[in-house]
Amino acid sequence: MAFPTTERERERRRIVIMCLPFFVLATFAGFVPLIVMARMSLSAENLENAGWSFAAWEALVTEPVYREIAWNTLWFATAATVVSVALGVVISHVLEKYSLPFENVLVAVVSFPIALPGIVVAFMAIVLLGRQGLVTNAVAVFTGSSAIDLASATSVFGLFLGYVYSLVPRATMVLRGTYAEVDTRAEEAARSLGATPFETFYHVTLPEIRPGIVAAFILTFRSALAIFGTVLILQALAVVTLRIDYEIGVGFNTQIAGAIGLVYALFLIAFTFVGLRFVSNKTVEI
Amino acid sequence: MTDYYTDSKAEAETGSKELRSGTESKWTSARRSASERIGRPTLVWIVYLVVAILVVPILMTFISSFASTATGVLPRGFVTFEHWRHVLGFGDYGVRANAIPGLTFSVLVATGGMILNVIIGIPIAYALSRYDFAAHNWVNTLAILPIVPGVILGIAFLRTYPDYRGSALVLIVGYCLLKSPYMVLTVQSSFQSIDIVKLEESARSLGASWPRAFLTIIVPHAKRGILAGCIITWTLAAAEFNFTYMVHTGDPEPFSMFLFRNISNAPYLQSAAAISIYFSIVVCAILILQLLGNRGFTTLNDDR
Repeated sequence: MAFPTTERERERRRIVIMCLPFFVLATFAGFVPLIVMARMSLSAENLENAGWSFAAWEALVTEPVYREIAWNTLWFATAATVVSVALGVVISHVLEKYSLPFENVLVAVVSFPIALPGIVVAFMAIVLLGRQGLVTNAVAVFTGSSAIDLASATSVFGLFLGYVYSLVPRATMVLRGTYAEVDTRAEEAARSLGATPFETFYHVTLPEIRPGIVAAFILTFRSALAIFGTVLILQALAVVTLRIDYEIGVGFNTQIAGAIGLVYALFLIAFTFVGLRFVSNKTVEI
Repeated sequence: MTDYYTDSKAEAETGSKELRSGTESKWTSARRSASERIGRPTLVWIVYLVVAILVVPILMTFISSFASTATGVLPRGFVTFEHWRHVLGFGDYGVRANAIPGLTFSVLVATGGMILNVIIGIPIAYALSRYDFAAHNWVNTLAILPIVPGVILGIAFLRTYPDYRGSALVLIVGYCLLKSPYMVLTVQSSFQSIDIVKLEESARSLGASWPRAFLTIIVPHAKRGILAGCIITWTLAAAEFNFTYMVHTGDPEPFSMFLFRNISNAPYLQSAAAISIYFSIVVCAILILQLLGNRGFTTLNDDR
């Protein structure tokens, strides 16, 4: 391998050399820390990895609060993902099929929140739904009730808006990539053979964009699980990332934090690899 | 919401009206009118509503940062630069609210992460688009989807590298790994838009060694993708919060921590000004990306 004599061996060496920098980084910044974190969850001491104890894993299995957190995380992330992907289909459909004025600006605006960290998204939710929020006060004017009672930024609804706010752009960008490759001739044929626009969408367009929808679902769900800043500011629901912060912040329970982190990371990896079996890698773009 | 939405997807085509006008029967025209009268406008209104929800708070925040009072619903008393001066550290009492040291530190760290991303991202993107090999799909998945989210990576880093807690090195390495998918994707999309096999073979048959062909022919052809990847990874790292929150020590305070402190503690208008600093950075990033052919803050290139 080190001193190749044939072109085939040289090619193999090139592949290894080209992949090497990434894997060096992934090892030191990804795999090694994950293994250390696994060890951390089994440590008897909370300040360093020393001794062995299964206490954290026992707590994780027996205490009902952790099942509740897992349930909160999963249903909330799934709901936010479904809504975001559905809106993403509508937005990419409209952007691709209809010619709206200022389309470039629309695309730029829709993509803007991808750049925003979760804490800024939380602020956006407060601007809309807080006590001085625009939506809150608009509703207050129409219903006649007080804006302070209507404020919902720090409720589950406000958090849901925050999630959707940061997820819709991601879902839309994946689906835009898919829509760009849809064969418009088949759609035109369907229309000219008498199919209504809805029938055309359901029987022709939808099967073509299905891989994109699956890819968007995978990516968006992963992003939804990873949201932390938004929920740290709004504090509306105990999800897994917030709980990890709580375990570290209150009592420095590093073993439990490590155990939760490991379960979370393994779930994410398993979900990704199982999910990607249904789609080609090419559809995954951010 | 669901019924309303599936029904509204009805409109799928714009350009085919004239195709059908010749063979129209009473039956088709009746069904089409329902679909076209309701479906298309509904979809367009959904899009405008979503865009409004996305953009109004951004504009509102930016405009508020120039207002002098925000006791009512709408900010009043324009135009004042008080809050901007304050967060930029020129205010009379603005020592603790100064964004400049944090911003400088974050800019340096983000630049480090970006350079590291160029070093690791271009080679693997090239290997993945040029060669087909065993485990290609696995490597691709690892490269384009971050292995672990920032919070988890943060606590894992704390235990693995306790002596480097909050150091620039830890932040650079962490940002690089977390944002590497964006670099790999943009560079891959550049490589896919040119015939790299043919290019490389031409260069090789004209006598260039393989390293020379790679460095002087292949890489320059991907410069748009590389630049786009640089801008995206840099912007995202400049305000990365989840990982930073876990590993930072507060000295020097990264920009995202400055934002966090403002959002959770400062008066509304001062928070608005602090966030607007970052909005300005993102707007610049999007404008440069548009010049490179990416419409918006995305790895998608429309010139492909």
